[in-house]
Amino acid sequence: MKKTIQIPLGSQHISLLEPIRFKFECENERIIGVDADVGFVHRGVELACTRSFEFKQVGYVVARVCGLCAITHSLSYTLAVEKLLGYVANDRIKYLRMLMVELDRIHSHMLCLAHTAENAGFEALFMQIMGDRELVMEVQEAISGNRVQFDYISIGGVNRDLTSDLCDLIRKNLTILSEKMEILTGLFDNNWSLSLKYKGVGVLSLEDAYTYNALGPLARASGLATDVRAETSDFPYEALGYTMILESTGDIHARNFVRLREIVNSITMCQNIVDNLPIGEIQEKVKGKPKGEDIIRIEAPRGELFYLVRGNGTNMLERVRIKTPTFSGIPAMMEVFKGSQYADAPAILASFDPCMSCTAK
Amino acid sequence: MTKIETTLPTLLSDIEAFYKPKEWHFLSVNGIDLGEGKIELQWIFSKYGVKDEVVIYYALSDYETPIPSVLALIPSSIMGEREIVDMFGLTVEGAQKGLYLDEDSLQHPLRGEE
Amino acid sequence: MFKSILEAFKNLFKPVRTINYPAQEITLPSGYRGLIEHDHEACIYCDKCEKVCPPGAILFFQKESGDKEYRYNPWLCIYCGECVRACPKPQEALWQSETKQQSGVKEDSANEGWFVWEEACKKSRETYAVAKKTPKSKIKSEEPLCVS
Repeated sequence: MKKTIQIPLGSQHISLLEPIRFKFECENERIIGVDADVGFVHRGVELACTRSFEFKQVGYVVARVCGLCAITHSLSYTLAVEKLLGYVANDRIKYLRMLMVELDRIHSHMLCLAHTAENAGFEALFMQIMGDRELVMEVQEAISGNRVQFDYISIGGVNRDLTSDLCDLIRKNLTILSEKMEILTGLFDNNWSLSLKYKGVGVLSLEDAYTYNALGPLARASGLATDVRAETSDFPYEALGYTMILESTGDIHARNFVRLREIVNSITMCQNIVDNLPIGEIQEKVKGKPKGEDIIRIEAPRGELFYLVRGNGTNMLERVRIKTPTFSGIPAMMEVFKGSQYADAPAILASFDPCMSCTAK
Repeated sequence: MTKIETTLPTLLSDIEAFYKPKEWHFLSVNGIDLGEGKIELQWIFSKYGVKDEVVIYYALSDYETPIPSVLALIPSSIMGEREIVDMFGLTVEGAQKGLYLDEDSLQHPLRGEE
Repeated sequence: MFKSILEAFKNLFKPVRTINYPAQEITLPSGYRGLIEHDHEACIYCDKCEKVCPPGAILFFQKESGDKEYRYNPWLCIYCGECVRACPKPQEALWQSETKQQSGVKEDSANEGWFVWEEACKKSRETYAVAKKTPKSKIKSEEPLCVS
């Protein structure tokens, strides 16, 4: 007689934000095998980038891959094309781009924290974090003119400048937010009912993180020191107070703490950027057609985002390869599920912060 | 970015000699259609803790030749391998179709226009 | 733990954080990216905006007299402002307003109507190109042909 039973999670499930299906092979309540189906929202963006759109328009197409990390997608693509065109942005453009990426990281991490709290059964905390998240969304809307689809970065610069009014708004909102972050950190650390669902649950060991090439907050929670911000030299992160956040236990609690501390770090970096903004043009003319092949890596909120762009000297590109963080994180995620309880699965899944629109492209 | 050429028969031994889990981060498998039935396959690695060090192993192949799987060496390559099976209609040992497309789909969207 | 209970109790007496929307106006920050507006008088009809538009929401209908007509689909537009940046006379001929586009209803025929327009614009160009070529080719045919 068969000793295990199969329980599915998804593709429509109350704990999921986006469609993904897991098939858990369970022995009583314990998960011993996992199978994942991720391709529910495949839209063929890579194909569209090479067949339907010219290279100057593709930046706006790839921004539609995902709503939360729209800015990192358009930034990576733009940087890759700028490398092919032999253009190096000036400091002001670099700083403004970094500012938007860091603001994006703050609000994406806050969404993940809110969602993890909700899946652990703490609905009120979800509301509270989502309410605080509005502070960042407000800033982003004021800078770019839109709430979700920023369309802020274009080839040769950024589309809008930062006025002194905006600088004041950023300073004001980020100061309020950093006070709120202290309260949140206390809550996540000391709340007894949250620690029941978080501490020691969904552990990814350091060995497994190396073997399965975990990335982003998932890897840093296990103690694997990998961060693209420290591994590339496209942006002057070190000069603006970047520190790598590492935890060692690798459970949900550690992942939450990596995110909380990264938010605090990002707030400091944003404040530094606003205070030390260099003077310069925000948009420069870039001429030529992309020819050759280049790669770019950017630290998106969920981990490493990789773009490979190959052009042949015409308006249409030959290949745009998008490798998103969740896509290469899935083997590590499946490993974490093995050995844990089925009832913990929604909370573990939320702590990975999976983005299915990115994965299926 | 360093590009190292390899061939499909020697791929496994090359990567086995090169890849150390604690030193290199495996990014992905990538395919690029070169037209006229040719395809370029890339295995991309980056080094932990070193700035801007990316190594790409690439091999030329065609649509029919079966591609050896690096799954035994790198467990996280399963996603990339399943993706190229879907998108280019290639055969990779141990990887089945059906990540994005239907399992019995006859499409291979990223192949060049025939 | 007790802190959070106390906090939850205090929250009962705090004002609500949401906005009572239809009764209370939402104030958008200045510089909201809204509809693209066009001035017929100032436009020089260079077609630059049509070429750069990522979704293809701006089209020019070619009339037989040689004039062009500006056609814009507010529901297809992604409000990126690329057309305004490409425009040789920005703020005069083409500019981005702060008006928010209302959602489309069936009567607007946002899709079907636009497909008809797209077809019509494409066709109008072809017929115009043919019409422009015909007199030229007539002139050419009168000249002696060097290459058979």
